[in-house]
Amino acid sequence: MKPAPFDYTRPRDWSAALAALAAGARPTAGGQSLGPMLNLRLAMPETIADLRHLPGFGVIDQQRDCVRIGAGTTHARIEDGAVPGQVGAILARIARNIAYRAVRNRGTLGGSLSHADPAADWVTVLPAFPGHAIALGPEGERRIPLGCFVTGVFAVALQETELLQAVELPMLPEGTRFGHWKFCRKPGEFSKASACVLALPGSAPRAVLAALDQRPLVIDDAAALLAAPEAEAARIVEGLRLADPWREALARVALRNAAQEAA
Amino acid sequence: MTVSGKGVGASLRRKEDRRFLQGRGRYVGDIRPAGVLEVAFLRSPVAHARLRGVQKPAQGLVFTAADLLEIGPIRANSALPGFRASDQPALARDKLRHVGEPIAACLAESRAAAEDLAAACLPDYEELPAVSDMLAALAPDAPLIHEHWSENAFLETKREDEVADLDAIAAAKVRRRLRTARQSMAPIEGRGVIAEWDPRLEQLIVTSSTQMPHVTKSGIAECLGLDEGQVRVISPDVGGGFGYKGILLAEELVCAALAIRLGRPVRWLEDRLEQLTANANCREHFYDVTAWADAEGRLLACEVEAVVDAGAYSAYPFSACLEAAQIGSIFPGPYTLPRFRFRTVSACTNKPPILPYRGVARTGVCFAMETTLDALARQLGIDAAAIRAINLVPPEAMPYRNLVGKVFDSGDYPEALRRAVAAIDVAALRARQAAGETVGLGLAVFCEQGAHGTSVYHGWGIPFVPGFEQAQARFTPDGVLELRVGLHSHGQGLETTLAQVAHEVLGVDPARVRLVHGDTALTPYSTGTWGSRAMVMAGGAVAEACRQLGERALTIGAALLQAPREACVLRDGAIVQGEAKVTLDEVARTWYRRPQNLPREVDKGGLEVTAGYRPDPDTGTHSYAAHAVVARVDRETGAVVLEQYVIVEDGGTLVNPMIVDGQVLGGTAQGIGTALYEEMPFDAQGQPLAGTLADYLLPGASEVPDITIEHMVTPSPWTRFGQKGIGESGAIGPPAAIVNAINDALARFGAEVTDLPATPARVLAALAKVGAA
Amino acid sequence: MKLHLTVNGAATALEAEPRTHLADLLRDQLLLTGTHIGCEHGVCGACTVELDGAPARSCLMHAGSCDGATVRTIEGLVDDPVMALLCEAFSAEHALQCGYCTPGMLMTARDIVLRLPEADEDRVREELAGNLCRCTGYRGIVRALLAVLASRRRPGSGDPDSPLSGCLA
Repeated sequence: MKPAPFDYTRPRDWSAALAALAAGARPTAGGQSLGPMLNLRLAMPETIADLRHLPGFGVIDQQRDCVRIGAGTTHARIEDGAVPGQVGAILARIARNIAYRAVRNRGTLGGSLSHADPAADWVTVLPAFPGHAIALGPEGERRIPLGCFVTGVFAVALQETELLQAVELPMLPEGTRFGHWKFCRKPGEFSKASACVLALPGSAPRAVLAALDQRPLVIDDAAALLAAPEAEAARIVEGLRLADPWREALARVALRNAAQEAA
Repeated sequence: MTVSGKGVGASLRRKEDRRFLQGRGRYVGDIRPAGVLEVAFLRSPVAHARLRGVQKPAQGLVFTAADLLEIGPIRANSALPGFRASDQPALARDKLRHVGEPIAACLAESRAAAEDLAAACLPDYEELPAVSDMLAALAPDAPLIHEHWSENAFLETKREDEVADLDAIAAAKVRRRLRTARQSMAPIEGRGVIAEWDPRLEQLIVTSSTQMPHVTKSGIAECLGLDEGQVRVISPDVGGGFGYKGILLAEELVCAALAIRLGRPVRWLEDRLEQLTANANCREHFYDVTAWADAEGRLLACEVEAVVDAGAYSAYPFSACLEAAQIGSIFPGPYTLPRFRFRTVSACTNKPPILPYRGVARTGVCFAMETTLDALARQLGIDAAAIRAINLVPPEAMPYRNLVGKVFDSGDYPEALRRAVAAIDVAALRARQAAGETVGLGLAVFCEQGAHGTSVYHGWGIPFVPGFEQAQARFTPDGVLELRVGLHSHGQGLETTLAQVAHEVLGVDPARVRLVHGDTALTPYSTGTWGSRAMVMAGGAVAEACRQLGERALTIGAALLQAPREACVLRDGAIVQGEAKVTLDEVARTWYRRPQNLPREVDKGGLEVTAGYRPDPDTGTHSYAAHAVVARVDRETGAVVLEQYVIVEDGGTLVNPMIVDGQVLGGTAQGIGTALYEEMPFDAQGQPLAGTLADYLLPGASEVPDITIEHMVTPSPWTRFGQKGIGESGAIGPPAAIVNAINDALARFGAEVTDLPATPARVLAALAKVGAA
Repeated sequence: MKLHLTVNGAATALEAEPRTHLADLLRDQLLLTGTHIGCEHGVCGACTVELDGAPARSCLMHAGSCDGATVRTIEGLVDDPVMALLCEAFSAEHALQCGYCTPGMLMTARDIVLRLPEADEDRVREELAGNLCRCTGYRGIVRALLAVLASRRRPGSGDPDSPLSGCLA
């Protein structure tokens, strides 16, 4: 279980990073997803571009009504409360249950989101936020609504020439409600069903159902789900026509529980 | 116990801990001889195929079977009538019989470069239909894995007690079809081999992560056509065995042949991918059980059709039939079964060859018997404890010979059950059930035959038959006691417990006792560490060697005291006559360095003794246990939580209770894995589907509850200190007890889980089957 | 490639292929074999080391990304007071058998003790999820950790260099 040979490059600024990307390098941050794939030779890139030393990559910047979280921010920093406010508390709660602490110490928010494993936690939670993924490409910055960022299993809205630079989340107003539930057979295991609901006062609640072995389901207006979690979760999940009855049951429970918590 | 509190019975802290806690254990992977070549194996990507050849890369050291004709096939025969032996080539020759079977050895300066070479090899094969299920393997039209056989079976055994009359007279009859999953034993350290040729000694030195260095040595010599004296096997620190390292490896033979051929050290370290995909090799059973009972629950008979998936080859030394054939002899368990009818088959499939994993056949048998008993109890409307109590061998019947000839040495089985149940608040549990909670109580009672010897194994006729276990005891000139044993300690704490035995006999402080093990050049022959035998066999042998050494010391000490030998005694590490004494240190110093102080006619044997030990009878000790589990089932997700886990256990005299508890706890954690988590699924093409530990789930700290252990101590009448083999016990009971608890919780819906592991998906499927999901 | 590491306090210059992971670097080049390799995909925890001050999987860190890092391995913590307490407790509670998972387990245990001084049993078990042990059934490990946590919470236990006894004495 040793990787195939690869070259390593450590860009010191974003233009160098974009150049490496354009030359075909595989970007990596914490390496906690790519590392196993390299060792198993499931990924055999010619060059790896290590983004960790880019300026601002791990910086958390609180602005007036939003917080900009550098893509290179580790799960552990988020777990330990580096993101301010209620949004930070929500993210901390999610981060704590990602894999194991030793993985969280290296693994990053942006890396996990860009990798887009359908069972990953940020893939479930971030699309519920009315925020943006900040992509940087040769043409400059592009803001991608988080609800549209993950486009499939291991597929995201980044173009081949773009890197994820940061995630921008709104500071949550008083009265925001949040619900989240996931099913793992063991702590740290990839979840088998995962859902979250975010309800901001004055706007339609949003829900996400993930870990489905398909693209996460983003529900832009989950008001009906919050009004009748049990029945609505059953209806929504039935519509997905999942093949495995156990996974179907878990998805139903996940969506209902997340909705009940947020209701 | 001795007054020192360090002998037999003391929970002495382990002598071996210090090096492990400082990261100074020395495992195969920690040893890297100068000039070593690392090996990566090209392994079969398919389960069944005709192999035409291998296209090698233009450059690099790659060896196929055709290049290594000096390696003979691995052949583990059995004397049981009808056994079909398989020839297992170290590297595949003309057929591929399971995914992961080695095809070629690729050597380079680093493992990574060796893997590059393996990736550049192109095996040329014609795929054949795979036989991936043991029941399908036995169908008349199944493709044959060994073409010259008439069917895909290594062995069939049967017993044909009459049962036809029972339907008319029994008050209850149940029939269940049950399955256990194929597992990976998954020690945290994989296998590993370093082979070197020593031109001075003209000796092959194989350092291997093995539980049985001497058997490995014999196997290497046989397959390579060497004298046994030309082979030395060293087993350094071993990072977990559990049966996974009780085997002669194809990789050992290949590395050995290459080291001889190339004149350079050669090393192969198994990685997790190899372990999971090429070597998931244990536990897979199918049972079709019918049981009849009278109105009080007394068993009238069991009829069992059992199939064990033995994989593609008969592994050395335990053979392909040990597990299935044992089902016929251990199914009755701790019960007084009056009639027993069975047929067992060791099925040959396109999977890795089966190895005996901790508990061996007992884990499956206990699951089958105990779930069947609960099914009978439910049908009769009687209590799960009651149906066991009425059928258990009573203490007054000990020693007890059951209907298949197993002899139980001692114990009070019903008392273990009583104590286990007493530790549970059954009334509170029933109240919770009445209130609608999906919780249940599960019981399992079983016994574990351990340390069985010649009289049992000569009948199997497999490559080894254990005889007298030998140990060597000797004093060094400074009075340190050296013990040498041929079996191996890899977590069991023998460096401590054998020192305690020596202390018990000679009074030498355990801190001044050194255990030498894991090297065939330094230790007496032994079949190794397996079958819960180490403490009974090596414990007995060390005690006997120390006793004889004490006699020698007594003679010398008496001479130094200038007293008649019969007036002297060995006490607390000294030879004593009245007020006068001479320490064993002084005895040793005198023998080695001041011989002028001894009379000419003193015993010439000196202070070095090799002694053998074999219990009489050597049919094995029987430790036993009752497990009681409270489990809660989430009806929505199928998840199972173990709320309480109680074990009442009798291992006879406990040489070190702390270490015994450690063995029981570790075994139970593995049993919990078998019960709820661990499964290597294979698809219809024989591809293993769990290639990482994210797919093959091992229990972690949150999955294993805080287990309560209560000991009973009924010494075995047949062993040196009354100790019984107990190393595997913990791994036997959990699947039975946990599934019984789940089924008790599901009983009000009429649902039952019958297949292991009882995953959330299976629990939900059981509920769905009765419309209760 | 050339890389520079500070390992157990010593600055070290190494030459390695970029694909070589930190566990192999430590073991093969620096002979620090106390860091064990168990799965090479980040699940078992046997290879856990302290990397830039926090536990990390050395099997997932390839040479390039380690350049400039500070590493502590089990060998570098022999004189660490918290590690000494843990070793003592591990031996007393029979928290190890074959010893293979032990160094990684101790690295995680030390992090738990330092980072979560108030952790209760459930939290300790959860935090141990990333370290697999196949021998002990975890009871001894959990008890050892709880004992060390409790001893450090006792008033007057502020002196981390308090005298130790037992296996490492």
